Amino acid sequence: MPVVETEAVVLRTHRLGETDKIASLLTRSLGRCRVAASGAQRTRSRFGSALEPLSYIRAWVFERENRDLQRLNSAEVIESFFSIQRDYRIQVATQYLAEVTESFLPEREVNERAFRLLLAVLRALKSSGEVTRPLLYFNYWMLRLGGFLPHLNQCGRCGTSLGEAGAFYGQGSDGLYCAECRRPATPVEISRQARAMGETLRGSRLEDWLRRQEAPAGAKQLRLFLEEVIQTHLERKLVTRALLAEEI
Amino acid sequence: MKDYAEPLARLIEELKQLPGIGQKSAQRIAFHLERAPREDVERLARSLLDAKDKIRLCSLCNNFTDTDPCRFCADSSRDHQLVCVVETPYNVVTVEKTREFHGVYHVLHGALAPLQGIGPEQLKLQNLMERVKRGEVRELIIATSPTVEGEATAVYLSKLFKPLGLRVTRIAMGLPVGSEIEFADEVTMSKALEGRREM
Ligand SMILES: [Zn+2]
Ligand SMILES: [Zn+2]
Repeated sequence: MPVVETEAVVLRTHRLGETDKIASLLTRSLGRCRVAASGAQRTRSRFGSALEPLSYIRAWVFERENRDLQRLNSAEVIESFFSIQRDYRIQVATQYLAEVTESFLPEREVNERAFRLLLAVLRALKSSGEVTRPLLYFNYWMLRLGGFLPHLNQCGRCGTSLGEAGAFYGQGSDGLYCAECRRPATPVEISRQARAMGETLRGSRLEDWLRRQEAPAGAKQLRLFLEEVIQTHLERKLVTRALLAEEI
Repeated sequence: MKDYAEPLARLIEELKQLPGIGQKSAQRIAFHLERAPREDVERLARSLLDAKDKIRLCSLCNNFTDTDPCRFCADSSRDHQLVCVVETPYNVVTVEKTREFHGVYHVLHGALAPLQGIGPEQLKLQNLMERVKRGEVRELIIATSPTVEGEATAVYLSKLFKPLGLRVTRIAMGLPVGSEIEFADEVTMSKALEGRREM
């Protein structure tokens, strides 16, 4: 039975029995997987702070074929995101990232770009303290990598170019509607400026964008729209979303 | 679950709902109860219901209690201006075991954990806020866990209560007693440095 060494980000953990923990990881070389960490609940656990939410770690996973729970032999911290989460706003944001990553990515499918995305967004939260654009960037690229990114300049129903006219969405939308196609269930309007941000999101690195300018108006609008689209594709409510809405 | 007679299967299902109990443990407990004398099982059933019926939350501190206020809040020899804030009722027991704390408690019944849908609204804070506003509290010692959730909760509480003019302190975080420094990771070590004290 092989032990695989891989980099990973800890998405969440829960207790298993009296002394162990189960950790949900996004790993670089095994994809998303769940591992059992024995003794991890103990005060003097050999895992230390490595299994705290969103830690970027090096993990040694004892791989068991055809089992959905692997065993974590050991882990060490490469980069910690412990301190930034002392701020509740950032904690909600990071746990939103964890929840979406966990529900959006299939188990055991290596996805290097998603891994790099998650890490880049965590680092942006850490260095900028800004929440809106890192989350917007995450939503945009998560959808794009999954092939679910809706047109931002075209009506999702009739295909008309949205141009200067209004664009609308609502609960359960997976795209935008023009004024003709909008229905009572799609009451939220999203500005042209917000839609135009797609260009920037596609063409820039997050850290450059954060450094270059202040958060443009409309960033929050677009973030909320893409959040809705993510939830629509997941077909279930995201637990962190309501708390996020209260904070940001 | 067709392997067992219906009442036994139901018992196993119920036991499996308990924290830390999986299929195997549930079976073991169920079989044990089946073999045990009837009065033992009755005593267990009675104590389950008794605890459920008689235990409630202390109206001052939210600790589990069968009297209101609880024995800590009712104890006049304790320092009522010094309040230790913990996540769960069994954390009270942990602090009590030191025999070095002579203040009173406040139990939050949780910590900020967005993934579990627990935000500030879900923490039981109202009666603590009332105590503070009545001027009954001099210092809050925040004894939440040294985890992301516990830290976020501690920071949130200090932002909430410090402006009201009381002292807010955090229990030290760092190296566990009996461990070796060389095995400490960066987070543990930096917390230990941060919490250093004059000698
Ligand atoms: Zn249309
Ligand atoms: Zn009490």
